[in-house]
Amino acid sequence: MKVLGKIFQVAGLLLVVLACSLSQAQAAQKKSASNSAALQSPQISQPTPDAINSPIGFRVKTPDEETGISWIGMGIAFFLMVGGLLFWANDVQSFAGILFVLGLFAGFLASGQRHYYHYFANNQGYAPQQPISYPHVLHAGKLKIACLYCHYNAEKSDVASIPSVNVCMNCHSLVRSATGDSGPNPEISKLVKAWESRDSAAPSPVVWERVNKLPSFVRFSHRIHVANGIACQECHGPIQTMTRVRQAAPLNMGWCINCHRLTKKEAPAHWKHAGGPLDCIVCHH
Amino acid sequence: MPSLKDKKIETALKTGLTRSDFLKTMGVGLAAMGGACDWRWPHAKAVPEIDRPEGVTPGVARWQASTCGGCSASCGALVKIRDGRPIKMEGLKKHPLSQGGLCARGQATLLDLYDSGRLRDPLVNGKKVTWADWDRAVSAKLKTLRGKQVRLVTQTLPNPSLNAAIAEFLSAYPSVKHVIYDPISSSSILDAHQKTHGKRVLPHYQFANAKAIVGFDADFLGTWISPVEFAADWAKGRVPTSGSPKMSRHIHFEPRVSLTGSNADLRVPIKPSEEYSTISSVAIRLAKILGVPVPHVGEVSTSASSESLDQAAQILAQHKKESLVVSGSSDLAVQILVNWMNSVLGNYGNTLDIQKPSQVRAGNDAAMEEFVKEMTSGKIAGVIFVEANPVYDHPLGEKLAKALSKIEWTVSLSNRLDETSSHVSFVAADSHPLESWGDAEPVPGTVTIIQPAIRPLFNSRPAMETLLSLAGKTQSAYDFVRSYWKTHLFPKQKSSHNFDHFWDSSLESGFAVYQAPSLPHAAFSSASLLGLKNSRPQAKNGEFEFVSYAPVNLYDGHQAFNPWLEELPDPVTRVSWENYVQFSPADAKRLGITEGRMVRVNDGKNSFEIPAQIQLGMPEGVVAAALGYGRITADDIAANYPITKIKFFPIEIAKLYTANVYPFLNSSSVSVAAGSEMHPLAKIQRYDFQKDPYLQESRHVVREETLEEYAKNAAGGQSSSDSSSGDGLWSKHDYPGHKWAMSVDLNRCSGCAACVIACQAENNIPTVGKSEVRKSRDMYWLRIDRYYSGSETEAPANPTVAFQPMTCQQCDNAPCETVCPVAATTHSSEGINMQTYNRCVGTRYCENNCPYKVRRFNWFDYERDNAVQDLVLNPDVTVRQRGVMEKCNFCYQRIRDVEITSQIENRKIHDGEVQTACVQSCPTQALSFGDINDSNSQVAAKAVSSRAYRALEELGVKPSIYYQTKVRNVKS
Repeated sequence: MKVLGKIFQVAGLLLVVLACSLSQAQAAQKKSASNSAALQSPQISQPTPDAINSPIGFRVKTPDEETGISWIGMGIAFFLMVGGLLFWANDVQSFAGILFVLGLFAGFLASGQRHYYHYFANNQGYAPQQPISYPHVLHAGKLKIACLYCHYNAEKSDVASIPSVNVCMNCHSLVRSATGDSGPNPEISKLVKAWESRDSAAPSPVVWERVNKLPSFVRFSHRIHVANGIACQECHGPIQTMTRVRQAAPLNMGWCINCHRLTKKEAPAHWKHAGGPLDCIVCHH
Repeated sequence: MPSLKDKKIETALKTGLTRSDFLKTMGVGLAAMGGACDWRWPHAKAVPEIDRPEGVTPGVARWQASTCGGCSASCGALVKIRDGRPIKMEGLKKHPLSQGGLCARGQATLLDLYDSGRLRDPLVNGKKVTWADWDRAVSAKLKTLRGKQVRLVTQTLPNPSLNAAIAEFLSAYPSVKHVIYDPISSSSILDAHQKTHGKRVLPHYQFANAKAIVGFDADFLGTWISPVEFAADWAKGRVPTSGSPKMSRHIHFEPRVSLTGSNADLRVPIKPSEEYSTISSVAIRLAKILGVPVPHVGEVSTSASSESLDQAAQILAQHKKESLVVSGSSDLAVQILVNWMNSVLGNYGNTLDIQKPSQVRAGNDAAMEEFVKEMTSGKIAGVIFVEANPVYDHPLGEKLAKALSKIEWTVSLSNRLDETSSHVSFVAADSHPLESWGDAEPVPGTVTIIQPAIRPLFNSRPAMETLLSLAGKTQSAYDFVRSYWKTHLFPKQKSSHNFDHFWDSSLESGFAVYQAPSLPHAAFSSASLLGLKNSRPQAKNGEFEFVSYAPVNLYDGHQAFNPWLEELPDPVTRVSWENYVQFSPADAKRLGITEGRMVRVNDGKNSFEIPAQIQLGMPEGVVAAALGYGRITADDIAANYPITKIKFFPIEIAKLYTANVYPFLNSSSVSVAAGSEMHPLAKIQRYDFQKDPYLQESRHVVREETLEEYAKNAAGGQSSSDSSSGDGLWSKHDYPGHKWAMSVDLNRCSGCAACVIACQAENNIPTVGKSEVRKSRDMYWLRIDRYYSGSETEAPANPTVAFQPMTCQQCDNAPCETVCPVAATTHSSEGINMQTYNRCVGTRYCENNCPYKVRRFNWFDYERDNAVQDLVLNPDVTVRQRGVMEKCNFCYQRIRDVEITSQIENRKIHDGEVQTACVQSCPTQALSFGDINDSNSQVAAKAVSSRAYRALEELGVKPSIYYQTKVRNVKS
C-alpha cells in the first residue's frame, strides 16, 4: 500500500514534467511551422465541399466550430480518475473523493468546452508568431506613421481591420529593403509575393494570426472610441515599441467597465466625453 | 470508533503519503495542466484582401438597390451587403409601385441564394460538364432540329432584357415557339379583357383610389398578382383620422378564409359553384340602382344573404369612379361580369388602368394545354424550359413528364434538379437573381434594375447568358442589359441627356421611370355579355366542392425548399410546415373528423392524403387545400436544413404530410374519406379566441370599434376604464435620453407576416423544424396573433378576424426582470428590456412570468454547420447557444448604429432614422418606431391618439408598444 502511494506521487510528478515538455515542444513546433510554411498554403479553415465552391474566402465562425479536445489535459484527467479508483479500492475515501472531483473538473476543461474559457482565463499577453514579422516598433515607433494611416477603418467601422496588402504597397512598391542591406528583405519579399499573386488563379493573401479577439457575444465599436479621442495605446498598449504585437489589455468586462464608469473629473482630459454607456445591451446584443 | 486524527495517521501509514504531500502533488499537477492545456482562447486568423476595392469597408454594410426576384410582381428591393455577403433584403422606399415594403416571400429569396441544394454545375444526361461543353452539346443537337417543332416554355417574364434575349434566341431558331403559362394564373382576366375591351391585358389595379372594394375570391393582400403594392394602396384608405373619420368599405365573397377576406369589413362565405350566381346577383342589383340595362345572366341562386348582396351593390353605386370590383376566379363569365361592373361604374381609368396595363401575368392556360397535347401526341421534337417547372406546377404535369422522355432535345434552365429538370437531358445551372444582371417592367413606364449583390456562389450562369449563348451571341448579361437600356429605354426617358449618367443614376435609385404611351383599347363591348352562364358545376351528392389556393407562405411552391417559408405559419390557420384539408366545423362534425385526422381527397383521377384542419368561416360543403406543397420530404430537410443534427440530443425528424395539389387545380368536386390515422398539425398559435374557455373572462388584447363609434367617441380606444394609473410596487424608471417605443396600427396591419421574416433575417433566428414547433418551441421573436370573435363555447360560423403583431412589449415594469435570479434580463436607460445571453443560465422563470409569451428558449444549439446557409447570418447579432433565453430587443444593433453615427456627427437622432427590421419591411406601414421622449416624433403622437391603447394595460406592466384600436367600417 505504501508502494502504491509512492508510485502515485512519482507518476504524478513525471506527468507534470512530461506535460511541461510537451507544451514546450508544441510551441516550438508551431513556431517552426509558421516560419517555414507561412506563405505556402494558407488554410483558412477546414475546407468543406461548400467552402471550396464558395468564392468568398472565409466562413462564418460560430462557437461550435471552435471545440477541440486537449489530449494532455484528458490524460491528466484520466490519471486523476485512475488514482481515485486506486485509492477507492484501497479504502482511502477522502483522497478518492478529491481525486474524482478534480478528475471531472480537468476532464470538463480538457474536453473542449472552449466557449467557457473566459470564465477561467483571459488572453492578456498573447503574442503569436506572425507569417510576416512586421515590426510596429519600426513603422509606428521610428518612422512615426500614424496608426490611422494603415488602420484607417478604425474611424469608419466597428472593426479596425488589418490593412489590406495594397496599403502596404503604397510604400513598399518602392521600399524593398532596410537602408544598407544588400539584397531585398525576406519579410518584405513575402509581402511582394502576396501582392503579385492578386490577379492569379490562386491568390495567396497574408494569413495573419489574430491577436485581439473578443468573444462572439460581445459587440465593440472602434469608430465611436476613436471619435471620442481615445488613443489607440490606451487599449492596445505601447504598440509603437512592440516588435511582435501582443494583447496588452485583459479585454475582459471589468476592464471595459472601469473606463465607462469614469466621470468627467476622473477621465483623461483628451477624451471628448466621459462615462460610456453602462447598459448591458450596448455590448451584448 | 477511531478519532479523526487516528484516521489521518492510519491513512498516512497505509499509503506512505501525508495530506500535505498529496496536496503539493495535486497543486503542482493542476498548475502543470493549466500550462499544458494552453488555456488560450481559440486561435483565429485574420485575412485581409490583397487589393481592397474602393468603397468597401470591412464591418460596414453596403446597401444596393435591386429588384426582388421572388415573383413576377418585381417589387423594388434594397440589398444589405456586409463583407461581400448579401444578408438582408428590404423594401425600396422610393419605388413607385411597392412603396417601401417587401413581402415575406420576397425577403426570404435571400435564403434561396444560400440553399446548399442548388445546382452547382451544368449537366448533360445527369453528368457534370463545363459550360463550353454544355453549349456545344446543346447547340449541336438543336441545329439538327431545324424545321421541326420546338417549344420554349416560360412563366410570365416581365423582364424586358430577358425577353430581348429570348427574342434573339427565337430569331436564331425560327421554328421555336414561345409558350407562356403561370402556375397561379390570371388567364381568365386577360381573356375577359380580350372579349370586353378587345385587348388581352391585365389591368393595373389602383386600390389607393378605391373607396368601395368588392372582392370575389381575390387574395390581393396576400398572394394575388402584386400583393405588396395592393396592400400598400389598400391601407391608404383604411385609416380614419379624427379630422376626417372616413375609411374605405371592403366586402369580400370567398369560398375559403383568405388573408384578404379576414381583413374585409364584411366577409361572406360562398361555394365556388355560387361564385357566378353571387356576382350576377350583385350585378343585377347594381344595374337596377344605376338604371342601366340588366345583363342577361341566366338563372341565379346563391347562399349569400340578400342583405350582403344589397350592401355590395349599394356601396359600389355610391362610389362611382372610385370603387373597384376584383375577382380571382378562373371562370371567364365571372371575369366578364366583373369587367361590366367596373365599366358601368366608370372605374376604368380611375381605379384600374388598361391603357398602361400590368405585365406581371401574360400566361395563357389554353396555349399551355395545347402544348401538353402536342407533347403527348409526339408532334414536338424539342423543348426548352426557362426557369419553369410545369411537371410540378401544372395540372397536366404528370402527362408532361411522361412525354418528356420521348422528346429528342430537352433542356431546362433551372436552379435545382427539380421535377422538370430531372426529366430532361440538358440542365443549365441557373443563377439566383441576387447573382445576376437583369431588369423588370411590371407596369409600362416603371423599369426596375436587377443588379448582382455577390459573385455566383456556384458554377451557374444567368438564363439570359445561356439563351444568348445558344443564339450564338455570347455576351455577358451586364453588357446585354446595358446595351438594351441604351437602345430601348434611354431614348424614351427625358430626365437625362447622357446615357452614362442615366445608367448610373438608375443603378443608384434602382429604377427608372419614363412616360409610357397609353395603349388604345375598344369601349366595353356589350356583345361579350351574351350567352353568359355558370360553368362551375355543383358537387354531386355526398361530394365536396374543392378549392385550391396559393398560400401566403409558399405561394406557387418554387420556394418550397426555403426553411424560413416552410416554418412561417399561415396567417389564418397558423399551421406551419405542412398542408392540410380545410373543413367547415359543421362538415367536420358530420363526418366525425377532428383536427389532425388524415383524410383522403379523391377527384376520380388522382388522390392525396393529408391531415384535416377545422376552419371557422369555411362555407359548408367545401374543402380547401393549398398549392405549393408536396415538394420536400423529411430526407430533404435532413439534407438541407439547419435543424436536425443536434449533438447528443437528436431531434426527431418528423415526417411531413404534404401533397402536391396542382393536379387538382381544375377539379370542381371531390370525394373525401376520413382515414384512421391521426396526425396533429404543427401550429404556432393554439388559442383562437380572446375569451378564456374556462374562466369565461374576456381579455381584450385586441380592441375593436365600429367607424360610427370612432366618429362619435373621440376617446376611442382609451375609453375603457382598466388603464392603470397607479405606480404600483415599483419605483419609476428614469429615461434621461431616449425612450424607444413602437406603435402598431391594427387598422393598417393585414397580417401578411412580412415583419416576421424580416425579424428572422435580421436577428439570426433559427428555424426549429416541425416536431419542435409542435412542442411550442418556435423561436419567432415577432409573431402575428390571429383572433376570432366569439369564444370556444360559442364559436360563430363566420367570425370576424383580427390580426395583432405581438413581440416583446418592452414593459417599464417588466415582470420578467423581477424574477431573473442572475440579473440576465434588466432594464436599460432607454426603456429596452435587455437580455444578456452570456449571463443567462436558462431557468426560464422569465418566460413563465411573461404575460405576452414572447420570450424564447434555446432548447438546442440549432445546427449551424451548413457552410452555405451560414453565410446569411448577420454579424451584428450574437448567435445564441443552447440553454439561453432570447427575445425581441427592438433591433438594438440598428439603434446603436444610429446612436454612434449621430454621436460622431455630433447631432441629434432624427425621427424615423432608427427603423427596426419589422418597421422597415411593413408594406402597409402599420408599424412605426421612435423616441417617445421626443414630443415631435411620430410615435409620441400615436401614443396619445384617440385610438391608442396598450395590450393588457390592466396588469400595470406599462408596455412600450402602443396599439391603435382596430376600426371596422360596419354598422354598430
